[in-house]
Amino acid sequence: MERIVGIDLGTTNSLVAVLEDGGPRVLVDPETGAHLLPSAVAFLADGEMVVGARARELAPDHPFETILSVKRFMGLGFEHVSDDDRRRYRFAEGREGVVRFAVGGRAVTPPEVSAHILRELKRWAERALGGTVAKAVITVPAYFNDSQRQATKDAGRLAGLEVLRLVNEPTAAALAYGLDRADEGTVAVYDLGGGTFDVSILKLRGGIFEVLATNGDTRLGGDDLDGRLAEVVLAELPRELAAQPSVRARARAAAERAKRDLSAAERTEVVLDLPEVGRHARAPITRSDFERLIRDIVQRTVVPCRQALKDAGIDPRDIREVVAVGGSTRVPLVRRLMAEIFGRPPLVDIDPDEVVALGAGIQAGILSGGRRDMLLLDVVPLSLGIETMGGVFTRLIDRNTTIPASVKETFTTAVDGQTVVDVHVLQGERELAADNRSLARFKIPIAPMPAGVPRLEVTFLVDANGILSVAASDLRTGLERSVEVKPSYGLTEDEMERMLEESIDHAEDDVRERQLREARVETDVILGATRQSLVAHGRLLAAGERERIDAAVSALDAARAGEDYVAIRDAIESLSQTTEPFARRIMDESLQEALGNRRLEEL
Amino acid sequence: MEGSQNEDRQCWRCGAGVGTGLVCPGCEAPQPPPDGDLFAVLGLPRRLAVDGEDLERRYHAASRALHPDRHQTAEPHARQLSERASAALNRAYRTLRDPVARGRYWLELHGNPLHRENKEIPPALATDVFETQEKLEELRTKATPALHDEVRHVHDALVARLVGLEAELSRLYAGANGNGMVDELKRRLSEIAYLRTLLGDIEAALGEVSGAHSRH
Repeated sequence: MERIVGIDLGTTNSLVAVLEDGGPRVLVDPETGAHLLPSAVAFLADGEMVVGARARELAPDHPFETILSVKRFMGLGFEHVSDDDRRRYRFAEGREGVVRFAVGGRAVTPPEVSAHILRELKRWAERALGGTVAKAVITVPAYFNDSQRQATKDAGRLAGLEVLRLVNEPTAAALAYGLDRADEGTVAVYDLGGGTFDVSILKLRGGIFEVLATNGDTRLGGDDLDGRLAEVVLAELPRELAAQPSVRARARAAAERAKRDLSAAERTEVVLDLPEVGRHARAPITRSDFERLIRDIVQRTVVPCRQALKDAGIDPRDIREVVAVGGSTRVPLVRRLMAEIFGRPPLVDIDPDEVVALGAGIQAGILSGGRRDMLLLDVVPLSLGIETMGGVFTRLIDRNTTIPASVKETFTTAVDGQTVVDVHVLQGERELAADNRSLARFKIPIAPMPAGVPRLEVTFLVDANGILSVAASDLRTGLERSVEVKPSYGLTEDEMERMLEESIDHAEDDVRERQLREARVETDVILGATRQSLVAHGRLLAAGERERIDAAVSALDAARAGEDYVAIRDAIESLSQTTEPFARRIMDESLQEALGNRRLEEL
Repeated sequence: MEGSQNEDRQCWRCGAGVGTGLVCPGCEAPQPPPDGDLFAVLGLPRRLAVDGEDLERRYHAASRALHPDRHQTAEPHARQLSERASAALNRAYRTLRDPVARGRYWLELHGNPLHRENKEIPPALATDVFETQEKLEELRTKATPALHDEVRHVHDALVARLVGLEAELSRLYAGANGNGMVDELKRRLSEIAYLRTLLGDIEAALGEVSGAHSRH
């Protein structure tokens, strides 16, 4: 059987898991046995590229070439890059479109960087499972917008993975907790990771995990805590030295270690060794000092929690359990705050670093049909809408609407002879279009007519991944219209194709992949036609013919589910041969009908 | 065309009769959502009174059968239908579980929609509305803790009022017997809609999280 893996593509660390008979299991690095792959990618000058633990070690010496928190940049444009980001990384020239890192003399987009992490996890999984892994479920922060989700999906594709589903991280965590418990009731998931914060309120009932509301901040996490602590030790150094990127990178690493210490110990030291400049800095710190330092950051999680509770229509007293997810929930102050918000101490029995990956593994099992008792019903985190007259944002789909969700809108033209209708889609909660995040512009061609006459029906569909697609049809002609998508901060289909072609080491896979895709498309066409003919012309079947056709159809179905395009082609051929006499009889009959009509006319 | 006559609909995949079902009883293929109204999607008659528990059971059962997670390994057409039909199901549940949204939708179905643009203050709320707006105006100019508390107090009183109005709405639904009640229904719905907006304004002014007076 083809294995589907579940991947937690985290800001700091990434993991891969699968569902087995005994439950979900995290797969490990075949060389070191590590569970966590640091989400670090180093692009060295000689073209060499390093991923994971070794890349993280390279960060202090190659601060600009080592991308440590690529997730923070997924789906963003140049204008979203902060001054702090510019101190940490170098960016390629550009004013608009997707952000690009300048590393090792190249410009690299966030999805390409993430693809390197995914490829490494794919390798781990293939070694552990002993076979090709081509399909995955990948988790994303619940509060990720459409562009960030699309960027994650693109990363999967670049890594040679078909991303079957994007699952929200808190929902995945709830799935991992819910697996062993026959619980019913409302639970809250508080997920403070390395770079993102999410909170979700879920209702559990009879194996259905229904998300009532979600909220968060995609730029808030453990990284911010490390940053504060790093400043303490950097303050011990002369200003020029403290401004050096390699020194700052080392200070962050030292701060991260001290933060961990303080989860158990009452006091520790941030220790920064700089032997090459003959300096050594240490800053003693107590837990309460640390808590004073980070209180305002942690406090920023309160409003999203309150808003989620309110949107869910749930009183904190009705929350049965609170689940802690993400390494940063090990910080005692964070745990105290959780207890304060939800009125009970959080559940921590599953390792907060692994719980999301385990949930992703379970979702992979659900998709492959292995767990029919569980089902996730998730929501869109931010309202979706379009720009209308006067730069107003008109909401079409409200936040916290269960997905899949769809809405139809009718458009017309404003000037005579207009040949294109331009739809600008945005996401957010603000009243003015300009204050929300631009997702894409959709151009829909339309036959030229006087203003106001054309009637174009546009369907906005948010799929189960939380990703928007747009379809249009001309209400006057009933014809489907093509839609040209211009993502505001994403890769266009052309760019994706080029990147796929550029990945030379995957050239062979790519060819195979394309052949396979084509064979599957052809299969679907032929199966559809066959099924239609069986329904419409069933009475023309000879004795035993139906059974033979059914057998050939199942054989083709089975081949389609596999990875071998040659086998699919063979099965298509065999089905065509089996249905050939049947097809001839249908043809004869319609010919006869046509002739019969003519004769009537002639009479 | 798809589903123009619900009763003799046939499964597009295996040809079995599917009636108004969301999935084929034979091969489990998702079907195009049945024609007609949101009540029909959940297999309910067009009635204002809806049992919340029953509604949730129907929604969960239909989700189990239709959700894209269930059709991941099927052919593209089945996956596409599963998405479309799930979206219709989700819309139906979202509309019908909220008594106010349900009432509005029922009026629409009966060709008598409540106009969203109607900004007129419902007479029964006029006094409260004017007093509240005055207080909010004051709060915007000088935000003293005492005034804050006062507005908070007004807010809580209005929430209680909203709860009362919603209870009356349920009673109205339970005794509903057709078109004789359209005017009363419209009046009640306008009051609730107005009160929800007002509460949102107060919460915004108090600097609190807002929204969601539309659930439960």
